[in-house]
Amino acid sequence: MSAVMSRTARLRHPVAGTLAVAGYVVMIVPILFVVATAFTAGSTLRFPPDGLSLRWFGEAVAYTPFMEAVVSSLQLAVLATGLALLLGVPVTLAIHRGKIPGKGLLEGLFLSPLVVPELVVGLALYQQLMIGLRLDNFTTLLLGHTALLLPYAVRVTGASLALADPALEEAARGLGASPLRAFVTVTLPMLRPGLISAGLLGFVTSFNNVPLSLLLQTRDFRTLPVTMLDYVQQSYDPMVAAASTLVLAATVVVAIVAERTVGFAKIFGGINR
Amino acid sequence: MTTPAAELVGVSQRFGSFTAVDSIDLQIPRGRLTTLLGPSGCGKTTTLRMLAGYSAPTSGRILIDGDDATRLPPEKRNLGMVFQSYALFPHMTVADNVAYGPKMRKVPAAERRRRAGEALELVGLAHLADRKPKQLSGGQQQRVALARAIAIRPRLLLLDEPLSNLDARLRVQMRAEIRRIQSETGLTVVLVTHDQDEALEMSDEMVLMRSGKIVQSGAPRDVFPAPADRFVAEFLGYENFLTLADGRQAAVRPEHLRVLPADTSAATSADGGIVLDAVVLDVAYRGVDLLVTLEATDPAGNAVRLLADHRADTATGPTPSAGDRVRLLAPEARLAHLSADSTAAPTAPTTAPTASTAPTEGIS
Amino acid sequence: MRARSSLLLLLPGLAFLCVGFLLPAVAMLFAPPGVSFAQVLERMGAMLTDPYDLGIIWRTVRIGLIVTALCVVLGFPIASLLARSQSRWSGVLLALAIFPLLLSNVVRTFGWLVVLGSNGVIGQLLTGLGIVDEAPQLLYTELAIVLGLVQLFLPLAVITCYSAVAQVDPGLDEAARGLGASRTRAFWSVLVPLSLPGIVVAATLVFAGSVTAYTTPYLLGGSSQRMLSTQLFSYASVTVDWAAASATAIVMTVLVFLVSGISTLVGRKGATA
Ligand SMILES: Nc1ncnc2c1ncn2[C@@H]1O[C@H](COP(=O)(O)OP(=O)(O)OP(=O)(O)O)[C@@H](O)[C@H]1O
Ligand SMILES: [Mg+2]
Repeated sequence: MSAVMSRTARLRHPVAGTLAVAGYVVMIVPILFVVATAFTAGSTLRFPPDGLSLRWFGEAVAYTPFMEAVVSSLQLAVLATGLALLLGVPVTLAIHRGKIPGKGLLEGLFLSPLVVPELVVGLALYQQLMIGLRLDNFTTLLLGHTALLLPYAVRVTGASLALADPALEEAARGLGASPLRAFVTVTLPMLRPGLISAGLLGFVTSFNNVPLSLLLQTRDFRTLPVTMLDYVQQSYDPMVAAASTLVLAATVVVAIVAERTVGFAKIFGGINR
Repeated sequence: MTTPAAELVGVSQRFGSFTAVDSIDLQIPRGRLTTLLGPSGCGKTTTLRMLAGYSAPTSGRILIDGDDATRLPPEKRNLGMVFQSYALFPHMTVADNVAYGPKMRKVPAAERRRRAGEALELVGLAHLADRKPKQLSGGQQQRVALARAIAIRPRLLLLDEPLSNLDARLRVQMRAEIRRIQSETGLTVVLVTHDQDEALEMSDEMVLMRSGKIVQSGAPRDVFPAPADRFVAEFLGYENFLTLADGRQAAVRPEHLRVLPADTSAATSADGGIVLDAVVLDVAYRGVDLLVTLEATDPAGNAVRLLADHRADTATGPTPSAGDRVRLLAPEARLAHLSADSTAAPTAPTTAPTASTAPTEGIS
Repeated sequence: MRARSSLLLLLPGLAFLCVGFLLPAVAMLFAPPGVSFAQVLERMGAMLTDPYDLGIIWRTVRIGLIVTALCVVLGFPIASLLARSQSRWSGVLLALAIFPLLLSNVVRTFGWLVVLGSNGVIGQLLTGLGIVDEAPQLLYTELAIVLGLVQLFLPLAVITCYSAVAQVDPGLDEAARGLGASRTRAFWSVLVPLSLPGIVVAATLVFAGSVTAYTTPYLLGGSSQRMLSTQLFSYASVTVDWAAASATAIVMTVLVFLVSGISTLVGRKGATA
């Protein structure tokens, strides 16, 4: 990887090439070491590992708190993503196609959860909803995650909608389709890449979230990243490396799905190769 | 003979298995304006970019002022390039754009300003020096690009379809403008175009390209009346192709094919030209003249469809109309004899009523 | 679409946004449980004069600035090499730079424990080669936090810069070269100024992310290298000092808003200049 980078880059520009290689090393190499240490047969987190085994993978899968947390995080991520799309797509339609005043302000409002630090939002939800209104932590987490994902739903599908020419829907109407029919048969298919992007991005964001979820944990319902974080802080064994490697593998699957459906780079917007 | 300003020796450019430029030899005469002319995709831009140093030839050598420059990076070649998109730096003023080249050459600031002013004066834009490129019209941007290229006092000025983004009137105006600048500065200019009118009007020397090869070159006065083959003839607006009795190929322009009454005696044309009996298929009114489509049998006995421009004010005889039997005359002096090679273009345009205008495929 | 149906599309999303984000956020700032806003303000005043608290704020800002600078210095070369390269590898390298955005922060940060820990790669290497007798303390230092945050935010810097560079006409580079500029000259006089708006956006995102990140300072900084985020968590969850938690949240939010505001102004000025 960095060999190729350095070869193509150094030929062009030695300084830029060296910086780029350094950047890739910082981004990628620590992740590789996680994978390497996960296969250790020893009981400490060290490199090079003491022998090879799958022992820690077994332990990670058998460790109930992790497995429960996986289920909880999946539930939360799927529900929050679905809800955010369900609420966000109508908002996008209203903003882009509706005749309402203050569209810029509205869009800004729906993007605002991105601006406030997530930890601060978590604190607010903890104080006001969990302590103040005595909501249970799952409901609070769902509310918070959905609000956090709304900006993705509104912005990413909005970008697709902006590409869809309103004249197409008008053409469908002229050909005899009802407004609903025109929307479903013409506009919705054009929104598909946006919906998939927003869905994948939302799912991953929710599933990996720490700062927002951090203060909203209880014994009954804990999310995976926070559980792993706590575990690492207490003990320092290769089981987390194994769990991390499993998360990495799952993420690679998500990335492949993304590449196959809408194109990996396009998910993050602005990149059209 | 003086060394040419630039010379390509057996230069090829391959992209994968595709050969965009196929072993061409070309000499660019000093102090003259040379055009590279050819249809879209024939390799004109590729040739110019290799000359400028933006891409290295796959094989062959490039000499500039007699020195090997094949591997020289563009910044060391000192050639002024005007891009089709102009490529003006949007974050700099017009003056800074023009002064950029001198700045890279470490010319002191005052001298830089003077030179930029001079170059802008030459293109008539000195009054817009403090504008940003976005605040200029297309024609003005084009002149700035020209001034910027001239300000480095280039050994060659390279222009890639410099006029194709301008509207029709401005385009014609700029042809004369570029000629004027060329003669005032005495620069060697290489200009790429797919417009044969442009090439004919502007060139000292024109080079016709097809599929990465040079098919003909020479002064417009020499090339125009004597296209080497059918491809060049078609490209230069010859619409009518005949096989003569002796088997040779000849081309005639529609404006040189005279439509006469059917009873005109063959003797009138005893100057060695060709006389054909024909039937008028269609007559289209075009203001200055009529475009007459005819069917005839050529001297070799093939049925051919021909186009003739008929000017009612200078022609003799009645105005032709569809169904008329007429006699066609192609004077010997107007017959272009083509080399018998196989370069005949696959699509014969004789059925297209485009008359004497250029094939339009080259507009990109 | 008529105004009434637009409103109908808008309402559910708006309601959710209010309950899950806007109202709690506002309520927390002004009325944490059992504390008055005056007490929050008083606590904030104390914070801005107390050397310990000031030290945390300054460390947060300092780390944010260093990380931002590093991400731009490493990210822009990567972005410009990828955007300008015609190599078939550039797509793979781009994907590799973006992939970490999908991967859990916990997993990514955990990698540094393996690299920097007392039995970690670097320690082993240094002692193994006999360069030092005892592995130096790398973990729980500011250096560790900086490395972790650069790893976290470099992908963001890369894709933001990539979009900016991709929008600059490559013909401009060539024009500069033809006028006598070397690669380096062309880079600084054409590519950098024209990508500057994108660089400013990238810097803002990285800074805002760095000063609010939790996982990295928690795992790599420990209790000796507190940042605003870890401090906030400790007030909210360990000492349960609502006034201090709210005050810290306000400081953090103001910091982020301040930098976003400045960058918007800079961007606007750049656009009109
Ligand atoms: N980088 C490249 N990779 C692959 N093929 C290329 C590349 N550049 C040019 N070509 C091909 O080489 C041929 C010649 O291209 P070139 O741009 O030189 O044509 P041109 O004569 O300038 O045409 P136009 O009048 O349309 O500008 C074309 O078929 C083009 O598709
Ligand atoms: Mg071209």
